[in-house]
Amino acid sequence: MLLFRSEEDVAAWCVATGEPHGESLPLDQVWELSRAWYGDRMDPDFRGRTTDAVMKIFANVGLTSAFRHAG
Amino acid sequence: MTAPSLDDRDWQMRSFIYEFFVEHERPPQYDELARHFGIAAAEARLAYRRLHDHHALFLTPGADRILMANPLSAAPTSYRVHVAGRSLWANCAWDSLGIPAMLHTDARIKATYAYGEGQASYAITSGTLHGDSGVVHFPLPFLQWYDDLVHT
Repeated sequence: MLLFRSEEDVAAWCVATGEPHGESLPLDQVWELSRAWYGDRMDPDFRGRTTDAVMKIFANVGLTSAFRHAG
Repeated sequence: MTAPSLDDRDWQMRSFIYEFFVEHERPPQYDELARHFGIAAAEARLAYRRLHDHHALFLTPGADRILMANPLSAAPTSYRVHVAGRSLWANCAWDSLGIPAMLHTDARIKATYAYGEGQASYAITSGTLHGDSGVVHFPLPFLQWYDDLVHT
């Protein structure tokens, strides 16, 4: 996942590279996603995560395409 | 063939790998893991492969060296995270925020924008993000991530 200044830059980069245009989140939403995703990563009891749990995390931060495709 | 499932010892090894990675700013070699747990190097090597097969970490293709233990990268990237007196590489823009989230601490981050010139500086202070703005592009649906993890 790459960092861009703006959604316009994402679109230009996708045209320039031929890479698929997915979904973008502003950094503050990515921070919320990171806290949900990585907050328990070093807990001794961490045992991975089910697909359902992953989809809930994405949904909570508005990353909708993740589970559109996963469904 | 389905990979053997991970047992509690595997997860303990994974925890050791993460703690070592943060402490030393690099992942342990499998012989270092073997010494810590008092096991044979060959056994530690197999544990690395089991953890890789279950996406608990990712080995360098064709080698038994850790390349990624998300959000940490063993190789230099465009995302440098300064946290708790250490400097760590993040795998991607998302992971640059994943490191302070994982460690529950403040961080300063230097990142290179993927399009155009320039660097971004942002930080986490007491749980709040501030600094340069930006968007993170998620190019692939979640279920395809593990097909080509380096790409994402």
